[in-house]
Amino acid sequence: MGLTDKVNFPQPAKFILNWGRKYSLWVMNFGLACCAIELIAASTSRHDFIRLGVIPVAHGPRQADMLVVAGTLTDKMAPALKRVYEQIPEPKYVISFGSCSNCGGPFWDSYSVTKGVDQIVPVDVYVPGCPPRPEALLEGILLLQDRIGKESLKEHYQRREAEEPEPAFTSTVPIVVGGGSISDTSIRDE
Amino acid sequence: MTPDEIAAHLTEATGAAERSDVAHGEVSVWVPNDKWVEVATHLRDCGRCHFDLPTFLTAVDLEEQGFEVVLHMYSVRRQHHVNVKTQLARDEPRLPTLSGVWNGLNWCERETWELFGIDFTGHPNQVKLLLPVEFEGFPLRKDFLLMTREAKEWPGLKEPAEVEH
Ligand code: SF4
Repeated sequence: MGLTDKVNFPQPAKFILNWGRKYSLWVMNFGLACCAIELIAASTSRHDFIRLGVIPVAHGPRQADMLVVAGTLTDKMAPALKRVYEQIPEPKYVISFGSCSNCGGPFWDSYSVTKGVDQIVPVDVYVPGCPPRPEALLEGILLLQDRIGKESLKEHYQRREAEEPEPAFTSTVPIVVGGGSISDTSIRDE
Repeated sequence: MTPDEIAAHLTEATGAAERSDVAHGEVSVWVPNDKWVEVATHLRDCGRCHFDLPTFLTAVDLEEQGFEVVLHMYSVRRQHHVNVKTQLARDEPRLPTLSGVWNGLNWCERETWELFGIDFTGHPNQVKLLLPVEFEGFPLRKDFLLMTREAKEWPGLKEPAEVEH
């Protein structure tokens, strides 16, 4: 990873580095159910998250920066999600899109659905809704970009190393779209 | 053939139909367990019924009355349907496999086995299809406990009629 994980860059260099990172997010689309359709809608011309620098459909997890889990994760599928997450190189971010991936959603009592993908991978942004509108995903992406812009890569790597081999799910405050996070400066500026 | 003709034909040709019932334009025929394979083979081979598409095979949990296995067949050529049903005892439900008659029923039977715990004797590969391998229990049985519901009842209303206006 070179210098980025060893040195705290001075503010101008950090600004430019993060500015480049946050407007070039390749998405690994982990579409599992109805929510995947909204995710696809967010990538096409009407909602168009490409204008925010988010590039849909990375060629594979190894080329991706961001994982969007959209839909119902079942226990049978969970190992596949874990594997995809582990194949994405650092720095990586996870958006949990929709009630199903947040908490099980309408399948809250199901025998086969994983109640929350945060049991499997650490989540940065939660987008609630069944399904959320594409605009909600756009807000989630903006909030994530906000966080990336302020982030120190060195601290990011140190945190991830401390989490090895299992992610500690409490190390960052997750962002919840519509949870007041956009106006809550304490979360925005942490 | 009309639904009634199919029922009459099955009773006549196989002598296996215990009773039959017509609902929504489709006939259901109940057969004894030991005639299960024979009836399915007849439906496939008989030129008059010519059932060439087994649409699905599944089961119904009837609680005290045990289980009912349902095989739905369609004839593309003659465009008629039939539901063949058989009743099984609740403890150790067991039925001979139909995967020798229709290869495609192999997966339907695996699914019925993992969800209802009905053992298809002679099945070539009775392993889990949709559930994780570690899964315990038969989740579509009515006595299967959903742990989330055990921990907390559904807090909302269950029926539209319960809503007070
Ligand atoms: S949250 Fe709703 S829309 Fe999204 S995958 Fe689940 S059921 Fe479908």
